[in-house]
Amino acid sequence: MIALEFPPVNEVLRWKDLFPSFNKIALICVAAALIGSLIFLLAGRKDHKTAPKGVRNFAESIVEFIENGIVMQTMGRDGLGWTPFLLSTFVFIYLCNVPGVIPLLQMPATARMALPLFLSLLVWVVFIGTGFKHQGLGYLKNSLFPPGVPKALYILVTPIEFISTFLVRPFSLTVRLFANMLAGHILLVTFAVLSKALFQAEGNPALIPMGVLPLFMLIFLTAFEVLVAFLQAYIFTILAAVYIGGAAHPEH
Amino acid sequence: MLTAVVIGSGGTVRVELLAGGESGEEKLVKPSECLFEPESEELKNAEKIPQSECGAGPSPILPEAKEFIWGASSFIVFALLMRFVLFPRLKKGMEARYNSIREGHENADAARSSARSEVAQYEAAVTAAKAEAAKVVDAARTTLESERQAQISAANARINAKREAAQRDAEAAKAAVRGQIESAVSDVVSSAVEAATGKRPDSAAVSRAVADVMSAGVR
Repeated sequence: MIALEFPPVNEVLRWKDLFPSFNKIALICVAAALIGSLIFLLAGRKDHKTAPKGVRNFAESIVEFIENGIVMQTMGRDGLGWTPFLLSTFVFIYLCNVPGVIPLLQMPATARMALPLFLSLLVWVVFIGTGFKHQGLGYLKNSLFPPGVPKALYILVTPIEFISTFLVRPFSLTVRLFANMLAGHILLVTFAVLSKALFQAEGNPALIPMGVLPLFMLIFLTAFEVLVAFLQAYIFTILAAVYIGGAAHPEH
Repeated sequence: MLTAVVIGSGGTVRVELLAGGESGEEKLVKPSECLFEPESEELKNAEKIPQSECGAGPSPILPEAKEFIWGASSFIVFALLMRFVLFPRLKKGMEARYNSIREGHENADAARSSARSEVAQYEAAVTAAKAEAAKVVDAARTTLESERQAQISAANARINAKREAAQRDAEAAKAAVRGQIESAVSDVVSSAVEAATGKRPDSAAVSRAVADVMSAGVR
């Protein structure tokens, strides 16, 4: 018989302050901003005339990925002005996600509600602002009364459009990022605790070799979380681009 | 705190979830070591309490103000830096290089076109030169042929002239030798006739007879 103690969920997610009002999540957020800035600062200082390599190659690859893989696909050439914002969003979310698989840190900042909530609210404000900027008050009309729909159906469509566009979007953005990263983090904790408990099983030596199974699962999930960290950053950024592009172009 | 008890018996493994104290291995901690303070004042003031008596803390889903503020300010600073400093600098460099590459491509295309036109010109010049050379060769061949024919004719003429002269010389020599032979034979015949008849024959008749005989012999 072995005793497997699951830590309380708050113990898994919340961290004591390193300084007053500055905990590990704040540290990861500040580090993400610093590392992101440092990468692009170093990339910008290199000689531009030679073929890019090292950090500049890396930074330029990210820029081209955002431009060709997100902006051009969702907003077209007109949306290239949004590249710095979307680039910042992608890089920041990725750098906040990835500490979930970095030893000692082992906590994605996006597995806490605050950061996804802020980013989603920001995207919400930005896409609504963009809608009003490009369409004026017609943005509300185009959003709530989509053209081509029979007038009788507006009784049904308008509330749905209002809820889906103005209420559900920030909520779904927040929950998608937060829940995915939280689930990944809890899975890693679970398999780590299970491995430890089995390897340290007392009284039944037959259980000790079984610790290899959750350990392999832990290794697999760690690799999977590297992919999830990228994927969630990409999904958040591309949805932000879709919302902004849709608000900027009434035909969307 | 829940404790999962894993029980292995034979080939099966069973997991049972028990409340914190049931495992019998509850750890005692100081209230200050708890992540969240115990809720009751009595526990707060106790020297050591079971870990399960520590405060549960707020809902893990609720956002924390400090995390919101730090996350927001970090992102805003990063986004502003990216918008006004980092991205423009990198993008400017990328565009400068792309323009340089594009310019290089255009220059290469122009150089390729220029090289192609030069090659065409060269090939046209080569073709013209070959045609001109063919003409010169034909003319030279014609000239050479006519000169050869002229020289052959001249040589033949010289050979013919020399042959005729030689024939004339041979005829003259033959005639001279024939005269000498006729004279000698006439002398011999006259002497033989004189010896036989004691009378010298007419030398003219002898000469005619000898000439007739010799002419018949030649024939």
